[in-house]
Amino acid sequence: MAQIFSKSANLIPLIVIMMVILLVLGGVFFFWYYGSPKFTDAGYRPIQPVDYSHKLHAGDLGIDCRYCHYQVEKSRHSNIPPTKVCMNCHILVGTDKKTLDPVRESFANKMPIEWVRIHNLPEYAYFDHSLHLRAGVACIECHGNVAMMEKVQQVEPLSMGWCLDCHRDPGPHLRPPSQVTNMYWTPPKDHGEWVQKFMQENNINPPENCSACHR
Amino acid sequence: MSSLDKNKTLDKKYWRSLEQLDNKPEYQRFAKNEFPEEDTEKNHPVSRRTFLSTVGTTLAFAGLTGCRRPVEKIVPYVDAPENLVLGEPEYYATSMPLGTSSYGLVVTCHEGRPVKIEGNELHPSSLGKSNNFMQASILNLYDPDRSRKITNKGKESSWQEFEDAWKEIKTEFDENGGEGLVILGNESSSPSFERLKKEFFKTYPKAEWVTFNSVSDENIYGGIRIASGKNLQPVYHYDKAKIIVALDADPFMMDSENVTSALGFAKGRSISGPHDKMNRLYVAEPGYTITGAMADHRLRIKSSQVIDFTVLLARALESRGTTIPALSAFGAVKQNNIDQRWIDAVADDLISHKGKSLVVAGRRQPKAVHALILSINYALENIDNTIEFHIAEHIQVSDRAALKNLVANIDNGKVNTLVVLSDYPVATIPFDLQIIESLKKIQRTYKLSSSADSVSALLDGDIHSAHNLASWGDCRSMDGTPAIIQPMIEPLFFGKSVLEVLNLIIYGESQKGYNIVRETWKDIFHGESFELSWRKALHDGVYPEGKTRVEPVIIQEIAIEAHLKEFPIENNSTGMEIVFTADHSVYDGRFSNNGWMQELPDPLTKLIWDNAALISTASAKMHGLENGDFISIESGDNSIEIPVWILPGQADDVIILPLGYGNDSNGRIEKGAGFSVNGIRTIDNMDFLSGTKVTRTGKKHVFATTQNHGSMEGRPLIREADLDEYRNDPEFAQHEVHVPDLASLWKEHKYDEGNQWGMSIDLNACIGCGACTISCQSENNIPVVGKEQADYGREMHWMRIDRYFNGDLNNPEIGFQPMACQHCEMAPCEQVCPVAATTHDAEGLNVMTYNRCIGTRYCSNNCAYKVRRFNFFNYTNRLPELVKMAQNPDVTVRSRGVMEKCTFCLQRINRTKRRAKLEGRTVMDGEMRTACQQACPTEAIKFGNILDKKSSIVKAKNSERTYEVLAELNLRPRTSYQARLRNPNPALKS
Repeated sequence: MAQIFSKSANLIPLIVIMMVILLVLGGVFFFWYYGSPKFTDAGYRPIQPVDYSHKLHAGDLGIDCRYCHYQVEKSRHSNIPPTKVCMNCHILVGTDKKTLDPVRESFANKMPIEWVRIHNLPEYAYFDHSLHLRAGVACIECHGNVAMMEKVQQVEPLSMGWCLDCHRDPGPHLRPPSQVTNMYWTPPKDHGEWVQKFMQENNINPPENCSACHR
Repeated sequence: MSSLDKNKTLDKKYWRSLEQLDNKPEYQRFAKNEFPEEDTEKNHPVSRRTFLSTVGTTLAFAGLTGCRRPVEKIVPYVDAPENLVLGEPEYYATSMPLGTSSYGLVVTCHEGRPVKIEGNELHPSSLGKSNNFMQASILNLYDPDRSRKITNKGKESSWQEFEDAWKEIKTEFDENGGEGLVILGNESSSPSFERLKKEFFKTYPKAEWVTFNSVSDENIYGGIRIASGKNLQPVYHYDKAKIIVALDADPFMMDSENVTSALGFAKGRSISGPHDKMNRLYVAEPGYTITGAMADHRLRIKSSQVIDFTVLLARALESRGTTIPALSAFGAVKQNNIDQRWIDAVADDLISHKGKSLVVAGRRQPKAVHALILSINYALENIDNTIEFHIAEHIQVSDRAALKNLVANIDNGKVNTLVVLSDYPVATIPFDLQIIESLKKIQRTYKLSSSADSVSALLDGDIHSAHNLASWGDCRSMDGTPAIIQPMIEPLFFGKSVLEVLNLIIYGESQKGYNIVRETWKDIFHGESFELSWRKALHDGVYPEGKTRVEPVIIQEIAIEAHLKEFPIENNSTGMEIVFTADHSVYDGRFSNNGWMQELPDPLTKLIWDNAALISTASAKMHGLENGDFISIESGDNSIEIPVWILPGQADDVIILPLGYGNDSNGRIEKGAGFSVNGIRTIDNMDFLSGTKVTRTGKKHVFATTQNHGSMEGRPLIREADLDEYRNDPEFAQHEVHVPDLASLWKEHKYDEGNQWGMSIDLNACIGCGACTISCQSENNIPVVGKEQADYGREMHWMRIDRYFNGDLNNPEIGFQPMACQHCEMAPCEQVCPVAATTHDAEGLNVMTYNRCIGTRYCSNNCAYKVRRFNFFNYTNRLPELVKMAQNPDVTVRSRGVMEKCTFCLQRINRTKRRAKLEGRTVMDGEMRTACQQACPTEAIKFGNILDKKSSIVKAKNSERTYEVLAELNLRPRTSYQARLRNPNPALKS
């Protein structure tokens, strides 16, 4: 009987299997990369209700992070400042600037400004700022050089793996707690020794078990 | 009319569209329709081609839209309060009145929202502990079915309208001295209430005031008044009593001051070693209460027999050389099944412990019993030792006779204005008074309560009340110590407090509760500076210097004789005796719309979501009844139908009917839960009722219980011994099961540094009240699953109390065992999780990571203690917004498909460690308390760092009575138990 399929048809199942494997691998890679916080979260730079520039305030004017985010050493949140903090200066400064209209309106109407949250962990992960500051983790380690940002963007992925990288080896990421808000600090030559002493004296042992963050 | 008007409901403050604001008919139609697409379909039909192309494009873009992250907002303050630290809860003191006593609370508030209640350590009625009513009241604050508006004859009204209307009415009463005006209020110990009442009578001398509560201590106060000639409140010192006799009473859970009574009893019961002594408890009761479960000896008698028992006991005491004043006034009594040997043993014990004993009777017993009991305590020299009396002129006590009188007055047309200041008046006022008919005869009626009911449409004003946690007020505990009630949050729907309504009625103008209370306290503070005293009293939650004085007691024999002549004892109980009790969960009905309470298993029957007619094993057999069989209880012309539940240990020919269920309101929780027993509860028989007939109707009801059987399946889960056995072999608990030296297949972890958490539960102190269960539920956002799911065993309580029967089917002993995750060092659950969602942390906790769990449920399968709870459904996504406010933000809210279990309050551990770290120190003993430990009224639960040699947990774990449940499985649980001891009287050993 005449052959329905030519010899070259033998290649088809081979090609199909290879395509399926490639597709599966491609799919896995697709979700591994595009689904990871490194892609979905890092670089997030939403538009805020007020066009606030950290570069101007924290960078050029040199205002310390903790002037506005004043609860960061006591609270687990680093708080967004209430409108009153802005008005501390802006009741006198920039009274003619249109960009400050929402701030003045908020203060006059007692309606808070609704900022868009950038650095967001899932609700089942509980993070505590005050403990990290106590341990000497600088703002720049997780938030990047905010003092250079016109618009704040998320720099680090803040994924659990990324957190664990530091928790497993905190040394390179620690500095004297007095320097945590210093955007230009560089580690001195004896940093390694200093870290050893510092961690021992202050009982700094970043937990690696689940109960640290997951309640 | 803008729906942003302040007086409207909270919902309407948030509008979703302009159409909603306008509220045109089209919008109303649109809003009513759950699936408005149907409407659009009719107007804009879609062709098949358009449909397919739309679907195709949507599919293509669907993938991309899935990557969009949800936008979360951060909304700071405009002007933040000073010293407020976000993420740190604030703790404020207040109080919770319950009848004529009150309990001090410390409420945890997160960003202005009260979330968790604990006992106030400085308050004499709490001493830092709580009971399940205190714990559950937080959910009552967020009850979505609470009234949210003021209505006038069913139509929406406002406070302003009520105020205007009252100003006019007041002119009439100012002239005629208040004739025709009646106030019907609840029991209260509030000094402000007392002051306003005095002002009320100054302004309206001819008006009337009636106090009434469905469940009250009226008989107790009445008996004390007859016997002593004064209005006094009893304060018990159970810790000083070596012999306690409780007659138809439940001092450790249901009676007034139960928190301190339980604590005192547990202190008297605690035993530090074989040479220590412990107290002895005798209980004679018709039903089975937790007091009865703790008893060393328990006698089953009917409620109506308590008077016989008391007289027999008094006579036995007299024959042993004590004179009981007024005993001669009591005539002949029937012995029936009251064991004289029992009476003799009790009498011997009481005589040999003069001044260190305590005889109490419950609120259902008639005044004559309480008078005689006071006489007995007096003769036994207990006054001012184990029981002291404080002056009680200031409190409002329920008065049934006055209520009867009021209804008669209404029927005679003497009342034209009635102001009702109590919850559920229709449900709680006995039906034979026909209050609804009477209300129709009154010209003007007003009510202040938490929910609308069937009479609301008749009322000229139905005002919604503010919850206790949202109002200003004050109260006194039984020893007179006053405390300020301060609001934790503004009234959620602009409700009014009882003081505010009273103020309007008296003065014709609105005044804030804050000012009313401050006015009262000007006379309460002794010191010079009002503001300083006020601030301190607010901070502490109590003003100890305001305690009332202790009054001496002299028995008024003539008064007792006169009372007996007027109200002779009729103890010819025939037929089935019905006893009405406050329920362990809903009390008198105030918690019936509280999901936690409905799902809290009754301590004795483990029934949930229902009440039942409780009956003894023998009586059930006699009437051919099984669990769930409906019976008809007839009393004269009235009858009710209710299914039965057999409770071994109950007295025969007695049926216990728990109150508070089957209310006719629309609460979503209470609808369909339980059966009303009000149909046979008349004003003259509110406590117990004899001569009823019981017939099986043939209908059947399906009950849900969390523990169908009371068997330990042959394993010694609860270990107990008599005091003698303990003295012979102090380590008897360890010896009950042989635990060989077990080796593990792998290298075991060394838990030898940092904090290693452990727990110890003393079964000798646990009374099975369930405060720990509710406290845990409140702290950890544990959902309510409903009757059907709970019947499958899917109730979510992380801490449960197992109840086991032991012994004779007619009068068994009961043992309680709280069971939560044991945090085994060699946890079987950890070993089988395929995704490592449950792991062990460095501090010995078995940790659950909800987001990792894929719902295999292998861990629960492997758990030897069956303490793991699975979220079979998403129990929390359809919670009303209001109820979500009760959730603790420190604990993850679990969704469908994840396993959960006790975490040893990990959120509290982290918070405590954090505080210690920030302060540069280690965690101190006693600083970290789990929710269950903090709530437990008897301090049965101990928790702490087992490496800290000086801590209370190590002391508990080193006790000889300590044992671990199922230790033979080599699980190394971190929770251990201390065995229970009983102290039987050798004379009664049969």
